[in-house]
Amino acid sequence: MSLAVDQVERELARLWEDEAKKSGTARVELLTLVALVSEPGLLQRAQGVITEVVRKVPSRTIVAVWKDGPRPAITAEVALHKAPGGAACGDAITLEAIGDAREWLPGNADRLALSDLPVCIWWVGDLPDHDDLFDRMVLNADVVIVNSQEMDLRDLEKLASIATRGGGRYAIADLAWARLRWVQDLVARFFDDEQARAHLAGLQRIEIDFSPRDGEKDATSTLCGLLFGWLAHVLKLPTEAPRWRRDETWAEVTLGEVVTRFEQRPQEGVRSGGLVRLSLVCNEARFELRRMEDPQAFHWSREAPDLQALAQVFRVLSLDEPTLLLRCLERPKRDPLLERSLDVAQRIVRSVAPRLSSLPPA
Amino acid sequence: MSSDNPFRAGLETERAPAPCVFVIFGASGDLTRRKLLPALYNLAVSRLLPPGMSIVGFALTEQSEDEFRKAMHDGIAEFSRRKPVDEAVWSDFASRLHYVSGRFEDQTSFTRLRAKLDELDTKNGTRGNRIYYLAVPPSAFGLVNDNLARAGMVHDPDDAAKYSRIIIEKPFGRDLASGDALNAELHRVLHERQIFRIDHYLGKETVQNLVAMRFGNAIFEPIWNRNHIDHVQITVAEDIGVEGRGKFYEEAGTTRDIVQNHLLQLLMVMAMEPPVAFTADEVRDEKVKVLRSLKPIRGEDVAALTVRGQYGPGNFAGKPVPGYRQEPNVSPASVVETFVAMRVEIDNWRFAGVPIYIRAGKRLTKRITEISVHFKQVPHALLAQQGPVEPDVLAIRIQPDEGIGLRFVAKVPGPSMTLRPVTMDFRYGSTFGGSGPEAYERLILDAMLGDPTLFARADEVNAAWRFITPILEGWAAAPAPELPNYAAGTWGPGAATALIEREGRSWRRL
Repeated sequence: MSLAVDQVERELARLWEDEAKKSGTARVELLTLVALVSEPGLLQRAQGVITEVVRKVPSRTIVAVWKDGPRPAITAEVALHKAPGGAACGDAITLEAIGDAREWLPGNADRLALSDLPVCIWWVGDLPDHDDLFDRMVLNADVVIVNSQEMDLRDLEKLASIATRGGGRYAIADLAWARLRWVQDLVARFFDDEQARAHLAGLQRIEIDFSPRDGEKDATSTLCGLLFGWLAHVLKLPTEAPRWRRDETWAEVTLGEVVTRFEQRPQEGVRSGGLVRLSLVCNEARFELRRMEDPQAFHWSREAPDLQALAQVFRVLSLDEPTLLLRCLERPKRDPLLERSLDVAQRIVRSVAPRLSSLPPA
Repeated sequence: MSSDNPFRAGLETERAPAPCVFVIFGASGDLTRRKLLPALYNLAVSRLLPPGMSIVGFALTEQSEDEFRKAMHDGIAEFSRRKPVDEAVWSDFASRLHYVSGRFEDQTSFTRLRAKLDELDTKNGTRGNRIYYLAVPPSAFGLVNDNLARAGMVHDPDDAAKYSRIIIEKPFGRDLASGDALNAELHRVLHERQIFRIDHYLGKETVQNLVAMRFGNAIFEPIWNRNHIDHVQITVAEDIGVEGRGKFYEEAGTTRDIVQNHLLQLLMVMAMEPPVAFTADEVRDEKVKVLRSLKPIRGEDVAALTVRGQYGPGNFAGKPVPGYRQEPNVSPASVVETFVAMRVEIDNWRFAGVPIYIRAGKRLTKRITEISVHFKQVPHALLAQQGPVEPDVLAIRIQPDEGIGLRFVAKVPGPSMTLRPVTMDFRYGSTFGGSGPEAYERLILDAMLGDPTLFARADEVNAAWRFITPILEGWAAAPAPELPNYAAGTWGPGAATALIEREGRSWRRL
C-alpha cells in the first residue's frame, strides 16, 4: 500500500506494535541504509542484498527508485524486515519518486533517517555522467558505499573527487575495495621479510592479468586499476607523467622506471574485472599470485636465489554482495588507504579513461 | 619485522608473524585435537599463518606422519568452528604437518626432533624461529625445558635473528610454593619474555571488549569507583559436571581450576587502572596491582568470607545426573569443592569498601560467565512512591550471548509516576554478526607475533597464589562442611546465598 512520506513513521510504529504483541520482538536498529537504485532492473537485486544484510545488522533501510511521469510525487511503501525465524529485524521503506520529484529524494531520505545513528548511502549500479543526485545525497551521509567494479575505469576520477570533496565529513567505502583485501594481504605476505623487501629496489615490471567484460574497451578493469593504484601508492611510483601504450587486449603504462602491463585473460568462473594473475618482476626475483583452474584457489610463489621460495595455495572465499556490503558497514570510518589508492589510480588512468564530464565540449 | 613492510600499512593485518616452526609436545592428546589444530587450521583459512610455517607434533605414540595428519583432519572436522573442512586449504595445511615420536625424558628423542626442525628450517626458511606448545602435565614442564636446552633448542632471548618461545597451559602450580617453584624451573632455561602462559579467557573477545568499554568510552570511567559502585558480582557458572576429568578435579577443585586463573583475570580487567599504553608490560603492571591490592583472606576470615560446596545428585536439563562423589575416578568421600563463593575487597583508592562477590562452580543451573557492576541507590528517594528505586546495573556477559546490558529505571506510561527497570542490550552477535575468532586463535597468533599482552606474567601468577593459598590453607585446617551441599542443577549451596544476603544484597538472577 502506498503512503505519503509523512505517514511512514506512524505506520512503522503500528507494525512494530503488532510485532511486539505477536512475538515480543524489541525494535533495535543500528543504522539507516539508503540504497539509491540507479536503474529499475537493479531493484530486485538491491532488495535481495538488503534483506540479507539487515538480518545481520538490524537497520532501517530506504530504497529509493525513480521513474518518469508527468506529475512529480514521492510515495512510500513500508514493511518490516524479517529474520529467518520470522522475527522483525528492521524497517523496510521504499520511496518511489516520479518525474521531477527525484530532486526531492535527498530531503525525504534525510527526514526518514534514524536520529543519532549512522546514515550509509549505497549507490547501486554505474555512476551516471551528468547527475548530481548522488553528490547531493552524500552530503548527509556518514558512509558512502559504491561498487567500483560495476563502473567504468573513468569513474575512478569521480569517486576520487567524491572522496576528496567530503573533507572528512563522510567515509567512502567500495565493495570492490573490500573484495581486494585478500589480494592486498597476499601481496603483503611476499614482503614480510627483509630479504624479500630488498628486491623491491630492483622492481622492473608489474604484470596484471584480468578477466575482461564482454567487449571490454578499457585499458584495465576498475578493480585492477584500483589494485594498481594501491601498488603504486605503496611503491611510491611517480604518477605525474604516466606513459601509456595499448592495443586491443593489452595496455602498458610506464611510471618512472617501472612498466606495468595489463592483459585481458578471460577465465571461466571469474567475474568480469577480476584478477587472474599479478606478478612483480624484479632484477633477481619474481613474486607471483596466480588464479588456478579452480577460480577460488590461488597459487602464491616467490622465486629468488636468496629466498626460500615456498609456493603456497590459498583458497579465497567467493564474497557475495551482502557479505561485501556488511564488511563496508562493519567499519563506518574513513579509510585513508582507499582514498589515497583511488587518487593515485585516477591520476594514472585519467589520460586513457577521461570522464565525459571533464572532456572539452564537442 | 612485518611492521616495516610498506604493503601492510593500513591493512587489517598490519602485523604479520615471521615464519616459525610450531612444536606441540603432547600432540596425541585431546587439547591438540580439540583446540590447537582447529585454531591453527582456522588461522590458515584466514591467511594468518606465515608462509613456510610448519607444525610438528611430538608425543610418545608411535605413528606415521600420515596417521598423525589423518587424526588431525578428523579433529578439525569435528571441532573447528568452520565446517566442513575446506579440502584445498587442508591439503596445503597438511603439507605443513609433521610428527616426531619420542619420550620427554629421552635426550635422543630431542636430538631427533632438533634434526627435524633444522631440516624444516632449511626447506622452508623458518630461520630457527620456534614456538614450543607444552600440551603436557605441569610435572613434565621441567623435563621438556631441560631437554630443549640440552639439545640447544632454546635461543638467547636477545638474539634478534631468531626466537624461541614456550606456551604453557594452566595449572601453574597448586599453591604459592609450587607456583613459585614452577616459575623458577621455567626461568632456569627461559627468560620471562619467552614464556607465554595461556589463560584462554583473556583471548575471548568480550574480555578484550571490557578493556575497550572501560577505556574507549568517556562515560564509564568517571563512575567506575567507590563513589558510585555499590558492589560487583562475578559469576563463572558451568552446567556440566567434571565430564570424565574426575582424577584431575580431585587434585584441583574449583578454586585452583577456575578462581585462581580465569576468575581473577576477569577481576583484574574489571578493576585495573588505565594503563599508560596498551602494551604488554603496561597492561600487566596494572593488572598485577589489582591482585596485590586484594585484601587477604586468612584465619577466621576464611570461614566468614568464603563458601565451598560440592554437588550432589540432581538433574541437568530434566535428566537425572550423579553427584560429584559418584563421578568416575572420584573418591566416594571426597571433600573437593566443585563450587566456591567469596566476598573479596580491593584495598585501593578506587575500590576501597566496595564488596566484590565472586562465585564459580560446576553443575549449576546454567552456563554463564558474567561481571555485573551494581551502582548505588539514588541519593534521595524523590520518586520512591512504590518502594525503593532499583539501582542501575551494568552487566558484561562473557559467555554465552556475549554482550553488555544496562539496567535502569523508566517511567511506566500512565498518569502515575510508576517506575520499572528496563534494559538496554548490546549483543555482539547481532551487532557485528557471525562469530569472531576462537580464543586459541587469537592467543596463538599473539604468541607468534611475540605479543604477551594477553598472557599471564610470572608475578601475576605469584600474586594470584599469594591471595588464594591462605584460603586453601584455611579450608585444609578447618573441618570440611557437610558435603555434598547443593543439588546438581541449582545455584549452589544456601551458604552462598547467605554470604551476600547478610549484607542486604542478593545474587543477580542470571
